[in-house]
Amino acid sequence: MSTAKPIPLFLAFVLGVHCAIVHAQTTELRFVTWRAETPEVWDRGIADFERQNPGVKVVREIGPQSSTQIHDLLTQKLKNRDTRLDVFVMDVIWPSEFASAGWALPLDRYFTAPERDKFLKAPISANRYRGQTFGVPLFVDAGLLYYRQDLLEKHKVSPPRTWPELVEAAKTVLAREQDPQLVGFSAQFKQYEGLVCNMMEYILGNGGGLWDETRMVSALDRPAALAAVRFVRDRIIGEISHRGVLAYEEPESLALFTGGRAIFHRNWPYVWAIANDPNQSKIAGKVGMTPLPGFSPGQGVAALGGWQFGISRYSSRPDLAWRFVSFMTGEGMQKRIALATGRAPTRASLYEDPEIKGKFPQLQSLLATFKQAVPRPTTPVYVPLSNIMQRYFSSVLALPNTNIDQRAVLAARDMNRVLDLLRDRPAL
Amino acid sequence: MKNSARAALYFLLPSFVFVGLFSIFPIVESFRLSFYRLILILPWLGQKMVGIENYTDLVSDPVARDAFGATLLFITVTIPLELLFGLGIALILNQTFRGRGLLRAVVLIPWAIPTVVSSQMWRFIFNDRYGLVNFLLFGADTSRYIAALADPYLAMISIMAAEIWKTTPFAALIILAGLQGISDDLYEAASVDGASSWQKFRHITLPLLKPALLLALLFRTIDALRVFDLVYVMTQGGPADATNVLQFYGYKKTFAEGMVGYGSAIAVTVFAMSLALSLAYLRVFRTSRLQGSNP
Repeated sequence: MSTAKPIPLFLAFVLGVHCAIVHAQTTELRFVTWRAETPEVWDRGIADFERQNPGVKVVREIGPQSSTQIHDLLTQKLKNRDTRLDVFVMDVIWPSEFASAGWALPLDRYFTAPERDKFLKAPISANRYRGQTFGVPLFVDAGLLYYRQDLLEKHKVSPPRTWPELVEAAKTVLAREQDPQLVGFSAQFKQYEGLVCNMMEYILGNGGGLWDETRMVSALDRPAALAAVRFVRDRIIGEISHRGVLAYEEPESLALFTGGRAIFHRNWPYVWAIANDPNQSKIAGKVGMTPLPGFSPGQGVAALGGWQFGISRYSSRPDLAWRFVSFMTGEGMQKRIALATGRAPTRASLYEDPEIKGKFPQLQSLLATFKQAVPRPTTPVYVPLSNIMQRYFSSVLALPNTNIDQRAVLAARDMNRVLDLLRDRPAL
Repeated sequence: MKNSARAALYFLLPSFVFVGLFSIFPIVESFRLSFYRLILILPWLGQKMVGIENYTDLVSDPVARDAFGATLLFITVTIPLELLFGLGIALILNQTFRGRGLLRAVVLIPWAIPTVVSSQMWRFIFNDRYGLVNFLLFGADTSRYIAALADPYLAMISIMAAEIWKTTPFAALIILAGLQGISDDLYEAASVDGASSWQKFRHITLPLLKPALLLALLFRTIDALRVFDLVYVMTQGGPADATNVLQFYGYKKTFAEGMVGYGSAIAVTVFAMSLALSLAYLRVFRTSRLQGSNP
């Protein structure tokens, strides 16, 4: 009797009727995400969640790796009110857009203030829109400066505290090394979202801003922003980088650094582990890391990055979705991810965790950077504004003869037109 | 009789439904949306009928104008070269030699590879550190390596090169079909009259090939007007917006920025342009065919 049972079940499976049978017993939770760097950690975590919640099956849909591309996939699904989407990952710049469009579920009912206080402030503020919270941060990123400790020590140059110092340091090392393969600085200057992160670090580090959030007008045409952009074009790209950086996203710029061909490198925290892994890097053990420079010492600004979980407003099982989000962003899961990848957790308590401190001592020293990192301004019209800024930055960097002041005025005018769309936004 | 007509209708119905659902409906819907202001991320604005405002905005939008210019440049450079190379390849493949069948298949490979894959490949080929192009030009002298995709002009040329590589086989295929339709008798007669190879090509091949060339031109123009995937993979429209072609701009407006009305206006414009070009070509095509049948 017991041996006869699997056969009809198997047949049903083959006939494709299994959906109906599985449905009768289990609840599916649909989760759109990218491919994790350490899939086994996620697999084990999700298996644990399913064990704790009998009858629940988490169905993962793996989307593209690029932020821009997964954004387009998610907005397609949400725009069509796809009920087969419960939980999704969000880049740090999306929560207010998803909130404004009515796609993300406000989580305050579940994610109460005392619970939020256990997280770092900057990533929480990036998830707030008009007094409500729309996402739970999973890990946090901030721009950092990596450098070749061996080369700096060899030529008795100290790690730079300002951008002009960095340019001078790079020129000194380049002049003494006389290595045609070596460049001074590698970062992300392709026309894409990363360009905005990079440029905002110079602009804010110079006391400027992308736009004025009280008056809701662009600030790109103001002196501090203009001077910062001019510095990048004339001194960073003109003097110590090669023009190839104008086509670089993170992986290309990192490859240059780990290949031993760049003295300085701006990137996110995940680079530390890769640059020091002899299997992936020619410069393992020769790498230094420091907060980004400013235009005067101690005034450096790091762009805040990182990823969060959101819940779709069209989800038919928000309570279950919350249980999943809460599990995935809980101490246990964040610790596992941190230990596996060196990604910076969003829960403040984990920076005191002995195991994490033992394996990634640098995280502790970065806490100050994470606390001070500045999110890109939150607004539902972030994407159109970003496209205008990308166009402006890329034009003035890639075409050295353009008039920065003129281009900035045009970009500011375009940005103001987009910001004006928010003027007749209904009051809360 | 009536019965068989009804049966025919039933058989045709699926195709009508299919074409209606997947071709007519989206076109009509894009057309309709292009007259509205619809911004997904700002739902309180609603869906407001704005007449031709999206189109007047489009005309005065400098980014759209540049995108139009980039698209036009892309078409006018790539298509003549594709036809020229395609003609050359077709003439070679039309000769009888050993391994011709194999070569005909091999030539089609660039066309058969999905564009997303070949774009990725071309991105590597033009890479500034390990790209094949740099290696061929400068060998081991890496200090002279060029970052083609980081330069506004070279980035456009790179994309054009990839497009020409990818679609020349298609042009060659159509032209080859045209060549095979030309009777050998004509060449034999010309040989008897003492015509040189060039004279045969100039006075027999080329005139009789006109329909095939026009057809290739028509298909290639419509296709090149809609160039998207190469840009999406290789440059994302940059640097300095140099490769921001119309379709990519429309895509960004619609899907990244959520400006559905404006994006639809761009899509409709591209559609109208390819429709107009197709009609113009078809007119020329028809007259040339009439001439062809009455030598």
